[in-house]
Amino acid sequence: MSSLEAVVGKLRRSSARASAVRYLLHALLAAGAWILGVVILARFVPLEQALRVAAFGVPVAFAAVAVAWAAARPAPISLMRTADLRLGLKERLSTAWERRLDAGPMDGALRRDALEKAGRAKLAAAYPVGLRRGEMLLTVAVAVAAAALVLLPNPMDQVLAQRRADRHAQAQAAATIAAAQKKIAAASTPAPVDPQVQKILQDAKAKIAAAPDPHAALQNITPAEQKLLQLSDPQTPARASAAQNLANNLAATNAGRTTSQALTASPGQGAQSLRDLASQLQSLSPQDRAQVASALAAAAQQTKDPTMAASLRQASSALASGDTSAAAIALNGLAGQLDSLQQQESNDQQIAAALNGLEAARQQLAAQADRDAAQSATGTASGSPRAGAGGSGSGSGTGTGNGNGNGNGNGNGNRSGTGSGSGNGGTGNGGSGGQGNSGSGAGQGSAAQSTERVYVPAAALPGQSENDPAPLGPGQDVPLTPYTQVIQAYEQTALDAANQSLIPGSERDLIRAYFSSLGETSAGK
Amino acid sequence: MIAEEPRLDPGRVTELAQSLETELARLIVGQKGLVRDTVIALIAGGHTLLEGVPGLGKTVLVRSLGQALKLSFARIQFTPDLMPADIVGTNVIREEKGRREFQYQAGPLFANLVLADEVNRATPKTQSALLEAMQERTVTVCTETRQLPVPFFVLATQNPIELEGTYPLPEAQLDRFFFKSLVPFPSQEELLEIARRTTGNTTPQLEAVADAEAILAAQQVAREVPIAEHVLAYAGRLIAATHPNRTELDSVKQYVRFGASPRGLQTLVLAGKVRALLEGRYNVAFDDLVAVSHPALRHRVFLRFEAEADDVTADQLIDEIVEKTDKAKAAG
Repeated sequence: MSSLEAVVGKLRRSSARASAVRYLLHALLAAGAWILGVVILARFVPLEQALRVAAFGVPVAFAAVAVAWAAARPAPISLMRTADLRLGLKERLSTAWERRLDAGPMDGALRRDALEKAGRAKLAAAYPVGLRRGEMLLTVAVAVAAAALVLLPNPMDQVLAQRRADRHAQAQAAATIAAAQKKIAAASTPAPVDPQVQKILQDAKAKIAAAPDPHAALQNITPAEQKLLQLSDPQTPARASAAQNLANNLAATNAGRTTSQALTASPGQGAQSLRDLASQLQSLSPQDRAQVASALAAAAQQTKDPTMAASLRQASSALASGDTSAAAIALNGLAGQLDSLQQQESNDQQIAAALNGLEAARQQLAAQADRDAAQSATGTASGSPRAGAGGSGSGSGTGTGNGNGNGNGNGNGNRSGTGSGSGNGGTGNGGSGGQGNSGSGAGQGSAAQSTERVYVPAAALPGQSENDPAPLGPGQDVPLTPYTQVIQAYEQTALDAANQSLIPGSERDLIRAYFSSLGETSAGK
Repeated sequence: MIAEEPRLDPGRVTELAQSLETELARLIVGQKGLVRDTVIALIAGGHTLLEGVPGLGKTVLVRSLGQALKLSFARIQFTPDLMPADIVGTNVIREEKGRREFQYQAGPLFANLVLADEVNRATPKTQSALLEAMQERTVTVCTETRQLPVPFFVLATQNPIELEGTYPLPEAQLDRFFFKSLVPFPSQEELLEIARRTTGNTTPQLEAVADAEAILAAQQVAREVPIAEHVLAYAGRLIAATHPNRTELDSVKQYVRFGASPRGLQTLVLAGKVRALLEGRYNVAFDDLVAVSHPALRHRVFLRFEAEADDVTADQLIDEIVEKTDKAKAAG
């Protein structure tokens, strides 16, 4: 050895080599422990991208250990002291290093002696490369456990797949609503209700996107539909009918034929043509005037809109009495009402487009909600049967009663509100009230025992007609099947029927909720 | 930086010690540990208390040392009636040319090597006179202080048996001895060799291998041997471990009344330096401290009555202290 610095350098390299191997094992252990922790956690909690999170910890563990390794580099005096102890150099190196800058009487001899002994010794042996058996075994055990857990199927994968499908369905529903918004905005004739319709759709879209699952997202659609329906004028059909009646009656007159054709084309054109007719009343022959007055009177009699009926009667009577100026005023008033009808029809078109968008979104969400319910019904039993009774409905007249038991409900409205409710043994749904301005519904159900098992008649065997049950022997009962085995088929049939029928979306929701609650109950059992 | 050359080559000290040990071995059979301890104490400039039963060669050792080193030698047999003036000297009336005057008559302490035989038989007064001379290396008679010759090396002996009528040395005075060496009984082979050597007509005559000047130079060189900080810290931890209120060892807490004094640490380090030189090294190692720990500390660790009752000796406790004091911890 030429100098003490050279000895330190050699010892440092040996130490770094030996400690690097040890720290590498530390890093492997830390990485393995991280992966094991993540995969264990992923079996209890649905973790998105669990393997990516686990993999992310590997470089972090190695980096942390590398930093610790670099920070733990021993000082030269420590290297010398350790070498003295392990190589039996009798503290020569450490004493010489401590006094390397001194010039005492013995320091020269001490340095020469230390370097001579260091030259003879195998310095690398001061820091042998070795691993602790316990740590090595622990690392292997952790790695094997982590690999096994990574390879074995994870029960949370199904939950994650369902979540992804839920998010996808919600995104699709939101996109459908956005498409409806775009279509409404691109309409050639903007309607006055466009801003309100856009806002309702925008709100619904945001709520659907933010909902935790499709089932919750579905609950945002019905309120949106109701808001849209409130924008529509209920008198529009009556006015349209009145306009059509007027057109039909004017078609039989010489003077009003043109106006009839314009009314048939659109209320706006009809209004313009009606103004033209009002300005030509003085020039009409008495016979033509009588024909027009008669047509107006007939139309007034047929129309159900009181305002239009009044205008028609006023025009008819004025024309019949020969007061053409009063008749012209009445016809111009009628033309104004037709203009208003034209505007209302535009509104209704936009509202209908929005409702169509919402309905399409409902279909998408409902399909996913049905799949979720089916999965939870066929999944592992969890939760507890919900017992309870009672339900209430108001406004749209829906009432639900959760719980096992029989439920019934009723609803009424001052217009077309009707209520009905039914509950089967498993879960009783309260009655649904009819739609109406002040409809109301109420439902109630009596709780059944949570341990009760409900049976339905068994499905027909192949070759056996459902209407032709097998004859039973004396003392034999009808063969029964647990309802959990047939409820899915029942649900599919009911939903198919609901989709093919022209029933309000809220009623479909009710059917869907009913079967969902049945699925939860069966899973609980 | 230019290194300062030592006044004596450290290698020469090693040679001196080795030749001294070789020369003594010609006359003293066995007792290598005792000889090594004596040489270390001599080069370190300390005094030694030898404890052993009579007839084991203590006097022969000291006399041989005097011959081998070409130093003056005096032996004082301590008895209960020995007075301080008998060892330090006194003024006597001398008549010369009809005129009487006091003249100082030097005592036997005025020698390079002094054997204080059975030091515990003298009264405390006389013991104090000896121990003051050992410490100060001067004697004071009638207000006049006189310098003792250099080197001044006292080997005191005491008999561990027949303690009736003796005055055991108090702790403070024991502390002034650099080493306390035990003189073991020879082995069977050594006994036979002693008989062969001492029952013939001829007795080997020793040759002087060094003089007082060489010894003084060696003493200076020994003090220049460097000691690393962690080795010094280890020595300090050994000393601390002898104290019942600072140790972690239960046996020390149970059996030790007082631990070693700072003079014990000085002795440990200085003796370690000399031993390093004798081993041909230029630095103090842990092994040097361990090797000298028994003679340096056994008379500085004062035991309780319980130790005597349980037959526990200071050497056993020192062994335990050395064993339990971690060198790697000291190395950091």
